Amino acid sequence: MSEFLALVVPMWVVFTLAAQGTILSGRTGVFNVTQEGVMALGASVGFVVAYKLESNLGGLFIAFLVGALVGLVLTVMTTQLRMDQFVVGLALFFAATGAAGLLYREVIGVTMTPPKIDTLTKYDVPLLSDLPVIGEPLFRQDYVFFFVVVLSIAMYWFMQRTGAGLDFRSVGENPKAADSLGINVNLARTWSTIVGSGLVAMAGAYFPLHFTGIYTDGMIGGRGWLVIALAFLGGWRPLYVVAGAAFFAGMDALGQKAQVIGLGIPHQFIEMLPFVATLLVMVFAFRWARQPAHLGLNYDRESRLAG
Amino acid sequence: MSTIEQNPPSPGGPPSAPPPAAKGRGAGAAAGIVWTLAPYVVSVLLAFLVGGALIQAMGYPAVDALEAVLTSSFDSRFGLIETLHKWVPIVLCAYAFAIPLATGKFNIGAEGQMLLGATGGAAIGITFSDLPAIVLLPATLVAGVLAGAVWAGIAALLLVRFRVNEVLSTVLLNFVSFKLIDWVATKVWPDAGAGHPATTPVGEGARLPLIGEAPGLHSGVLLVLALAIFIAVGMRFTPTGFEMRAVGDNPRASLINGVRTSRLAGAGLVLGGGAAGLAGAIDVAGVHGRMLEGMQSNFLILGIIVGLMARGSMLALPFVAFGIAVLEFGAGTMQLVAAVPVEMVLVIEALILLFLLLSDLVRNRLRGAA
Repeated sequence: MSEFLALVVPMWVVFTLAAQGTILSGRTGVFNVTQEGVMALGASVGFVVAYKLESNLGGLFIAFLVGALVGLVLTVMTTQLRMDQFVVGLALFFAATGAAGLLYREVIGVTMTPPKIDTLTKYDVPLLSDLPVIGEPLFRQDYVFFFVVVLSIAMYWFMQRTGAGLDFRSVGENPKAADSLGINVNLARTWSTIVGSGLVAMAGAYFPLHFTGIYTDGMIGGRGWLVIALAFLGGWRPLYVVAGAAFFAGMDALGQKAQVIGLGIPHQFIEMLPFVATLLVMVFAFRWARQPAHLGLNYDRESRLAG
Repeated sequence: MSTIEQNPPSPGGPPSAPPPAAKGRGAGAAAGIVWTLAPYVVSVLLAFLVGGALIQAMGYPAVDALEAVLTSSFDSRFGLIETLHKWVPIVLCAYAFAIPLATGKFNIGAEGQMLLGATGGAAIGITFSDLPAIVLLPATLVAGVLAGAVWAGIAALLLVRFRVNEVLSTVLLNFVSFKLIDWVATKVWPDAGAGHPATTPVGEGARLPLIGEAPGLHSGVLLVLALAIFIAVGMRFTPTGFEMRAVGDNPRASLINGVRTSRLAGAGLVLGGGAAGLAGAIDVAGVHGRMLEGMQSNFLILGIIVGLMARGSMLALPFVAFGIAVLEFGAGTMQLVAAVPVEMVLVIEALILLFLLLSDLVRNRLRGAA
């Protein structure tokens, strides 16, 4: 149990961080689909910087900046130039995927044994980490875990408990109404996409910096797409996402343990679990969970059409 | 969705005006062709310019690298054959994306559908390996099409029945398919001697005949060529093709005029899945002779790039796919000649796509001014 939780918690960090980045821009109506590529890019950049500068914090920070840059391109093309969000997102996903492999091959080259970095240091939460069974896996964590906890609370507080957050959410629900109230629609969409995309890249950087210490192509393994499903399942609300991420992380950990668990069925079928379970959950998510009314729709102030 | 249509209206403004009538019909048509082709030429040039600058900045010989990318397909018979062999899955995966897109749905699952098609084809090819080619080869290809269509059918069912977003369902099914074929290649029909998860070879009767002396061109290329003509005609001139395009252009108007929009959207996904499944079966029957892990390469991404670049024109799609196949074959040569990592080509392709999308805006401005 304790061993299993130790697998779940870091995955929870990844899913929560990336999904909070996704819903941040989604709440203003920008539907970001670059996750799979941006996370790979974040992993590559995070690893390369951490390896060269011997600073994991530097790796996380530069990964954030590179992700923010992708977000900037996405938001300029969609809010300023009003190009289709999904199509631009796909193009950026391809570019980021290519850039991730390119950067690693360029800086590190092709090696027999891949270079390794030290993974992030873990810190104890006083008292709580001494608890039996759950103490060690839950309360002995690196600083990214604590960052994610603080970020989730801060996002919840901002979105659901402040006037500015209400304005912010109104941009994704009805940009025309928000605009007529003097809220700067493009500004809200721009900053939320930049910061959100940066967070997604940071989640990607967590893979080499926490799990493996090395970078490999395809290490994200479809989790970028699961993050989008998680955002839908969580109804684009920070706290629901935190809970949903625990479910996704649990499925992911089960899939990772598949070779060991056995149960008489081929391990490949257990490894499918995260994806199959997500598909089943989506059936309910799309029926009951809410989403911002203008998610994925560009806003044109001069348009005579409604919305 | 205005970026994907053939002639997108300028955003927010009145629809782009037709070319001045005074020039006459011929001149208008010529101007139309120029307006259609110019963005492609400019985008490719710009992408190569940026890509070349990037290669030079990284310290490689940019001219040599780009020359290798562009010309190596035409340098040798082998190069041309390999390019055509790459063209087959690229063009089929592009159909897998473009046919559902005509109804306004995004199929991001060509990878999984192709792998399932390969598995279906291999299953028939291995189980009935003794049958003569006249029976076994068609059965192999049909099994591939059906398996791909069924796999996409799951997403279609989820979409039509439960309104699950087709982007997510198709993408997630890709990852399910990876595990499924891993099981098939390591447990069901494993080939221990292959040194890589792969099935045992299919029977001789399941192999596509080769054209010309070795190394020969497999006849799947001709099959796909025929299919390309069939699809281009079908989308343009049949009622179903018209309905599909109508749903993509204006789903509400189509619904009001009696088109069963959601059923058509599902059918588009299934058809697309069939195309991708055929790609898998042809690669089994023509190239690998077995189903092996990783055979999907990056055809998903390439198919989407081609599908978006063709902008809904089923006629342009095979030509765009050929251009991408040339770049993809050239990528390997580029790595050999100039030591530039192959990923560079993916970056260049993404740049072509981005510039092409941007060119819509520029073109509409220019047209508006003219």
